[in-house]
Amino acid sequence: MKLLIVIPAFNEQDNIVRVVDDLIEHYPQFDYVVVNDGSRDRTAALCRQHGYRMIDLPVNLGLAGAFQTGLRYAAENGYDCALQFDADGQHKPEYIQPMLDMLEEGADIVIGSRFLTVRKPRNLRMVGSYLISWAIRLTTGQKICDPTSGMRLFNRGMLEEFSTNLNYGPEPDTISYLIKNGAVVRELQVQMGERIAGKSYLNLVRSVEYMIKMGLSILLIQWFRKRDTDSPYAERSV
Amino acid sequence: MVDISWQIRLVLVLGSLLTVAFVLRRVRQSRMQIDDSIFWLLFAFVMLVLSLVPQLAYWVSNLFGFQSPINVVYIAIIFILLVKQFFMSIQLSQMDSKLRALTQKVALNEEKIEQEKDDL
Repeated sequence: MKLLIVIPAFNEQDNIVRVVDDLIEHYPQFDYVVVNDGSRDRTAALCRQHGYRMIDLPVNLGLAGAFQTGLRYAAENGYDCALQFDADGQHKPEYIQPMLDMLEEGADIVIGSRFLTVRKPRNLRMVGSYLISWAIRLTTGQKICDPTSGMRLFNRGMLEEFSTNLNYGPEPDTISYLIKNGAVVRELQVQMGERIAGKSYLNLVRSVEYMIKMGLSILLIQWFRKRDTDSPYAERSV
Repeated sequence: MVDISWQIRLVLVLGSLLTVAFVLRRVRQSRMQIDDSIFWLLFAFVMLVLSLVPQLAYWVSNLFGFQSPINVVYIAIIFILLVKQFFMSIQLSQMDSKLRALTQKVALNEEKIEQEKDDL
């Protein structure tokens, strides 16, 4: 299976080189593409300097828009699957192969999950994760242990669907919507590192905003969505 | 103090339900982003609560010395829409600068292509 690792990067000058060099050096069998989301720092310059494969967005689109760009690239260049991979070094590439194996066993989406066999810590940071897990379980009947994990692998059908449609952000509400529509979503236990440099996007206000959005979206809005699986790509494989 | 009439409450209930129906329809047709629908759903919810539990408006009215509880409803609507307007103004300004950056990028790329053609 031909895999594309999509690495959305926004102001990741302190991490991007370490992350991509690791992939190039130890995992040359996988293709990757950095999607620079209009960073204001030296992210793009560093990618050019090192000769990385990069899509340089001239304006900031946000994570959903940047990731979608990567998926369009994958769809248009005939990739069989695409992996959402953080530029900050939290995700470990040694789990890519086991995730691919799971995809080949018939999953549509494989989530690299921190809490499948490891107990989810009961602290304030995880309140959101608990609530989202609960909401997904309530509306789909399926248990997703780590819905906010940003390490997700999509098969060809999914990546085509993600790459062309509105309201397909790489977020838990899309996952819950797809489960409800019959997609096979599986989790694989992975370990994740802490972000080494740079600062996280999340703060309290944004977290609350995110929770309200996810809550409303999963519990209410997803019931009313209509799925459109028409694909503009000829080589659609499902 | 003038009460909130049942007619006004009915209109508010119908209005908020229609808003919800309309917004959900747009999302269903993939013609509205979920992010943008959240505000209207919450707004409709607040209106619904205010019309179903007018005691809330009475309570605020007494607290702040409004002449009539219906004024609380007006003020609430005006305030929420003003805040929305403020954030939309920020959003518009950001979109404007993004559009400018995009236009410049396209034009600069065109120029680069022309130059390369000439060089050949």
